Amino acid sequence: MTDLAARLRRLRGQAGIAVGAAATMAPAPRVPVDLARLLAVRRPASMRQRSGTLAPTGLGRELAPGLWLAEETTDWPPLPSCFDASFAKLSEPIDPEDLLFLDTETTGLAGGTGTRAFMIGVARWKGRQFVLSQLTITTLAGEAAMLEQLRAWVGPATVLGTYNGKSYDAPLLTTRFRLAQQASPLQGLRHIDLLHPVRRRWRAQWPNCKLATAERQLLGVVREDDLPGAQAPAAWLRFLRAGDPVDLYRVLKHNAQDLRSLAGVLNHIIALPP
Amino acid sequence: MRAPLPATIADEDDGRLLQLSGAELAGRLVQRYGERVTGHFVMEGREGRYVPLPDDLPAPVAAALRTRGVARLYEHQGQAWAATARGEHIVVATPTASGKSLCFTLPVLTSVMTAGKKALYLFPTKALAQDQVAELLELNAAGELGVRAFTFDGDTPGDARQAIRLHGDVVVSNPDMLHQAILPHHTKWAQFFENLRYVVIDEVHAYRGVFGSHVANVLRRLRRVCAFYGVTPQFILCSATIGNPAEHARALIEQPVTPILESGAPTGPKHVLLWNPPVVNADLGLRASARSQTNRIARTAIRAGLKTLVFAQSRLMVEVLTKYLKDVFDHDPRKRPRIRAYRGGYLPTERRQAERDMRAGQVDGIVSTSALELGVDIGALDVTILNGYPGSVAATWQRFGRAGRRQQPSLGILVASSEPLDQYLVRHPEYFQDASPEQARIAQDQPLILLDHIRCAAFELPFRAGDAFGGQLVEPWLEVLAEEGVLHREGERFEWIADSYPANAVSLRSVAEGNFVVVDRTGGRQAIIAEVDYSAAPLTLYEGAIHMVQSVPYQVERLDWTGRKAYVTRTEADYYTDAIDYTKLKVLDGFDASHAGRGECHHGEVHVVRRVAGYKKIRYYTHENIGYGNVSLPDSELHTTAVWWALAQRTLDEAFERRQDALDGFLAAATALHTVATVAVMAEGRDLQKAVGSGDGAWFATPDSSGHARVHTGWGDEGVDPHAPFIPTLYLYDAFPGGVGLSAPLFDRRAELVDRARQLIGQCDCRLGCPACVGPVLASDETAARSMKELGTAVLDLLADL
Repeated sequence: MTDLAARLRRLRGQAGIAVGAAATMAPAPRVPVDLARLLAVRRPASMRQRSGTLAPTGLGRELAPGLWLAEETTDWPPLPSCFDASFAKLSEPIDPEDLLFLDTETTGLAGGTGTRAFMIGVARWKGRQFVLSQLTITTLAGEAAMLEQLRAWVGPATVLGTYNGKSYDAPLLTTRFRLAQQASPLQGLRHIDLLHPVRRRWRAQWPNCKLATAERQLLGVVREDDLPGAQAPAAWLRFLRAGDPVDLYRVLKHNAQDLRSLAGVLNHIIALPP
Repeated sequence: MRAPLPATIADEDDGRLLQLSGAELAGRLVQRYGERVTGHFVMEGREGRYVPLPDDLPAPVAAALRTRGVARLYEHQGQAWAATARGEHIVVATPTASGKSLCFTLPVLTSVMTAGKKALYLFPTKALAQDQVAELLELNAAGELGVRAFTFDGDTPGDARQAIRLHGDVVVSNPDMLHQAILPHHTKWAQFFENLRYVVIDEVHAYRGVFGSHVANVLRRLRRVCAFYGVTPQFILCSATIGNPAEHARALIEQPVTPILESGAPTGPKHVLLWNPPVVNADLGLRASARSQTNRIARTAIRAGLKTLVFAQSRLMVEVLTKYLKDVFDHDPRKRPRIRAYRGGYLPTERRQAERDMRAGQVDGIVSTSALELGVDIGALDVTILNGYPGSVAATWQRFGRAGRRQQPSLGILVASSEPLDQYLVRHPEYFQDASPEQARIAQDQPLILLDHIRCAAFELPFRAGDAFGGQLVEPWLEVLAEEGVLHREGERFEWIADSYPANAVSLRSVAEGNFVVVDRTGGRQAIIAEVDYSAAPLTLYEGAIHMVQSVPYQVERLDWTGRKAYVTRTEADYYTDAIDYTKLKVLDGFDASHAGRGECHHGEVHVVRRVAGYKKIRYYTHENIGYGNVSLPDSELHTTAVWWALAQRTLDEAFERRQDALDGFLAAATALHTVATVAVMAEGRDLQKAVGSGDGAWFATPDSSGHARVHTGWGDEGVDPHAPFIPTLYLYDAFPGGVGLSAPLFDRRAELVDRARQLIGQCDCRLGCPACVGPVLASDETAARSMKELGTAVLDLLADL
């Protein structure tokens, strides 16, 4: 541990901060005074930098260094050529092919400029098919390519479809574009945030309006062995630091189901009598 | 707009018609109570010095000023305009009520109107922020300027926030909000930052010590975020009168600053009285309460037809003084009340109503806490009375500055309490008259504080390995944060990856977390009523302690050390508690040293261990010791910076008959030095501590119940080996791990401090010693060969460069 780190550790202990298990690296040539005491604490395995890990092929194919793309196309029953979206406070009818469902997985819920999306999942209807595309970054440097790819998927006619995206996903992605000193392609787009119509209709009847509740109630979807959203940040960190992709694959699966459920809930709402 | 002069006020009580001026009242008080007045001087009035409104001021702004009665500027306002036009950062350190606002309002309004620029204002309190916005909006309306100003603080509703970010021309906030809400969400403020031109910071003298060190770092983060948006903002700082406004401003923003110090505003003569309550028990050195004096003076002033403002130190005291005055002046409920109280804790609507009544001249006597100290406009007053010293000469002048209508003589009276600091200041009128002895200091590179802010900065924007923060290479700090797990290094970049929001864990008023909360359990409730520093907790929150919150006594029932909570209940006990604390100091490293008289003075790093072994129960007023209690708490350890003085054994053996005398002298000298040092560096409360011990940590000395030195080697009562070298040392140390920047300036001023300490003891009225100079002593000391005062003076004489 560096001299500075040892000194800070000591000062923090004196200020009353509970100093937890610390990471130690191999001793530097000049041994600081506190090292003997500090060596009693071992560094947890997950903090070691990964070396020589296998490529995370479960994330799809590598689109650019540090950016992976998983794609999946499935059949979907035919949709109306346009639908009334007044339930989402949009006055003009929407062409389903303009829709872009969007769901992000992030490094934390605290918000602010220190939070990023490590996974962006989008889904579209193309004729009778449902195309699901998921971008995952495996290095921090991959974010630039991820944002560029998202920008390529979005156009002025795009209608975003999300669950709580107006408050969460869209502002977060806008923040990431701004930190990259770029304009956000999501600004000014039409946006159907399904949380609000779901709340209006079913809040009184259901225990809560989470997407998991809506999918169960409206679509009969029951997930098995699903990684809870709150564990997603840790899953990604486990891969980033230790090269362990197992939980990250589960996040991918969770994200994919979120997108399918989004589309299903929208379908359900469109089909309801006015 | 000024309230009209009052008509003479009939005093219904005794039917006399009295109208005195502030000067006449001063004269009468001195005549009647001369022996209580320790200082009386007059600051001469001044003619105004004016300059015309600048040519390049936009016409609508000039028109708005004229409708508000301002046809020309004071000279210093003109200087501020010129300096900001040249692109300079400025600090305006003219007295209260000299029109400092226009120094920043005019440049800001001009930049908004002519260039579409934005401004950020930082005020220490919400009340002041709201007042500023109100004033701006009035000017805006008067000239139809189209400037949009908003407050942005914890009370701003969520849906209003987005509108303010996008459309606000002037955003008025405070350092805590900037730290916790604005900077960590700066992308939402992108448009604001891209167009930011001015940052206005008021009351910068308040940003000193620990708080100032934090704020300096928040400003570093602000400048870093501005640089990201391609902007270098221009700073306009305002300060009360301190000894080093330019230096302090420069330290806060780390840029050259143009000082503007001479006020061009006209003033009437200001009479100042320093008032010490009379001694009521000569043996014990007890004085009458400050409250009794304040009450009497206020009554006299109000009866004399003078609008009076009384400042009290606590909410409780506000209520007590208000009651006394209302009993005299408001006993007829059918009449409009002449006396009003004002304090935090009243609803904002109540306070706004009170302010309006005051501005309209309908209130004759106001009793307030420091909530009214700052710029809130309450109309014209004639007399301000301070019940107790407010902690700094600068704050005293700010409160005095509330009194005075144009060209009329005003009167300010400081009534001292029995606190050593009060007693010291009230005997030194020159501190108030001449150049201020106070210098504001910050320690912006204090390691724990710096680490907290680098952590916050890393959340805001990623760092690269070669980057600097506050003039230091930041890489070693980033490595520490990476080891902590919040940053991830990839190549040259360090990015935030933790699921946490670091600004929430950083309080700008303490050094790192670890603070204790005080939970009131009276009557079965669970209310947090106070927060106490980690370092002060063992001295004030042990089980059994009587702990004062806003002058209301509570008793600590249980202390949860690891949970950082103290559970208290209200108590009616007739005693207070005093911790028996043993401090051991050991020198680790010396930075600097010099001769001091026949001894030495050093500056360096020390290791401090403090243990609270028990406590004394002391009855109020009589100061009898009525019992003891045990305390079992962990020791506190501290590595910090200190200044210390030592004298060689041979010198001491020549000067003192017995070693006990030398030790008593050191304790006495330490008390006096601590008082003068606290004033010199504007230290807050417990920031600076004193100790007497051996330089090698072998023994230390604390006062026993008679005030004399008792030496301890371990934690018990063993005496010192009489054959060991005897080098007693007097320490003044910073009470925070890593120090907080007090030691360096104290070392620089060491000769001055010794000198002032000698004067303090020499000029004290007591015979043998008292809490105000060398510490409490017993009357039975009369039989001693040399009193504590004499011994303290002897030590200081040896340390003085005569």
